[in-house]
Amino acid sequence: MEALFYFFAFIAIFSALMVISMKNPLTSALYLVLCFFALAGFYVLLYMQFIAVMQILVYAGAIMVLVVLVIMLLNISKLDSVKTDFHQKIIGIVIAVVLFAEIVIYTVGGKTRKPTGEITHKLINKIGNTQVIGKFLFTKYTLSFEIASILLFVAIIGAYLFAKKKL
Amino acid sequence: MNNYLIVAGIIFCIGALGVLMRKNLIIVFMSLELMFNAANLGFVAVSNRLNLISGDIFVIFVMVVAAAEAAVALGIIVAFYREKGTIDMDKANELKN
Repeated sequence: MEALFYFFAFIAIFSALMVISMKNPLTSALYLVLCFFALAGFYVLLYMQFIAVMQILVYAGAIMVLVVLVIMLLNISKLDSVKTDFHQKIIGIVIAVVLFAEIVIYTVGGKTRKPTGEITHKLINKIGNTQVIGKFLFTKYTLSFEIASILLFVAIIGAYLFAKKKL
Repeated sequence: MNNYLIVAGIIFCIGALGVLMRKNLIIVFMSLELMFNAANLGFVAVSNRLNLISGDIFVIFVMVVAAAEAAVALGIIVAFYREKGTIDMDKANELKN
């Protein structure tokens, strides 16, 4: 379990670094797919197989196909001249390091709460992952579910409007 | 759980670095996706540790929002490219001056 965790962590962090350091957007997109697969491995380690499958289907499948399609549409050979200037790099690194220091301080230094809920991973494994999520999605979180469907509808209209010939 | 949160923090910071550092709009968009995913990992780790299910439900809604955001953002990128002929972020300066 521990070995698997470090394996996935290495893959995730390495491919995330590759995403932001590659020159070619297509290479970045492929490394991002690798990162999503590593994160799906994390979800399996955390006993959430349903979310792992959704991660691969929605992120690595749908969204990344969309990104690669757009890269193809935009005639990639012209994009190589897009570079970073030095000041931007320095500011970015400083902000990222400060952000990371804050996260580490609050994660390591904070108190760990006792488990409060009753839904342990043993219970989830006994009932079934999809069943538990479906039960909560359609009882306690029904309103959010409906609002999510409206959001998707609005996104369809928005994407259509932006992709039209005349803005 | 701490290990998972640290990994999520590292990925989030890499994503933030990409947003701040790169000028290519598509790579900035992919860095945003990285940050979404880091937040998702944090949600799942915490809700696993505290025996809750709400974090996992929230991850599904984050995925819905990310899918909607992807569709709209890529539409904007295509429109931007059609207008300017490039996807350099610094060329988006109509509101300057």
